[in-house]
Amino acid sequence: MPRITQSDLQAYLDEALPPDEMAAIEAELRSRPDLLRQLALINGRRDAGVHSVGEIWRRQRLSCPPRQQLGSHLLGALDEGHAAYIDFHLNVVGCRYCQANLEDLRRQQDETAEMVKTRRTKYFQSTAGHLRKKS
Amino acid sequence: MTTQPDADSLLVDRIRRGETQAWDDLIARYEGRLLAFVESRLGRRGPSEDIVQESFLGFLNSLPNYDGRRPLESYLFSICAYKLTDHLRREGRRPAVPLSSASDTSGDWQVSDSARQASSIARSGERKELEIKAITEALAEQIDRWREKAEWTKLMCAELLFVRGWANKDVAEHLDITEQQVANYKFDFIARLRTLVKRQDLSEEVFPELYEDEAES
Repeated sequence: MPRITQSDLQAYLDEALPPDEMAAIEAELRSRPDLLRQLALINGRRDAGVHSVGEIWRRQRLSCPPRQQLGSHLLGALDEGHAAYIDFHLNVVGCRYCQANLEDLRRQQDETAEMVKTRRTKYFQSTAGHLRKKS
Repeated sequence: MTTQPDADSLLVDRIRRGETQAWDDLIARYEGRLLAFVESRLGRRGPSEDIVQESFLGFLNSLPNYDGRRPLESYLFSICAYKLTDHLRREGRRPAVPLSSASDTSGDWQVSDSARQASSIARSGERKELEIKAITEALAEQIDRWREKAEWTKLMCAELLFVRGWANKDVAEHLDITEQQVANYKFDFIARLRTLVKRQDLSEEVFPELYEDEAES
């Protein structure tokens, strides 16, 4: 696989890389103890309160487009430069959260109301009992 | 960012009051994107739905400690990422990392380590939050400026350099600009952040990448 950067490892620890890159790093980790040591060092730096600009940028989602813009992007309604940037953010930066939002918007066009209702009912019924106890 | 702060904070207030309709609304608003997040990694619908379910439970468990200033969507994604990581570890897919941090990804839904002294955690946490807030505001201002002026190349350049950690040469090649242009953008960007660190009297030591060039020279 291509060179793994420090930023990749930071994002890996936060489960924030695209799925194929997460899997590739997991595969590398099995044969490369040096990578495991690098991950431990990153955790150590985090514990010591050392910051990374990229980590702050990614965690605060500073360049993530709003969900409505992703919807407009899906409909092809953005101007060329803006659309190119969103493609870049999704596919080159590989923002997992925006990818998930876009996939959700796509699925809303495909899934039946019944499928969605069944799933949401399951989540609600299995969690609602905890509502008053914890809040 | 992909949140609706006012609507979300009203929703959370209603959930805190125990309104089941509000909880139903939160599930309806967020379950799809959380499921897409998990399923893209697991590739299996059943276990992915289980993780989303655990994430919603984790959210309710952490609700008394949830800081409403934090965007709800990001908070839910963090819980989901933590539950997913835990699942992958149990499956043996994700190796355990030695000397594990009191990870930022675990957040408030994890039981805190009672052996650590509360006062030292609070003090260092407050300071760290202040540093993050200052850099976040500066970055957000810069990113907004690039967006308003449609300076997409500068935004892409900074994102590749700092978020993905690419080398200048690779960034230049990908964006079809010269390495000198990349170096210039990087220099300007770092200079602005350094000015902020100095103006806000933040410690240079906690932002080492902003001073790497000085250390090398």
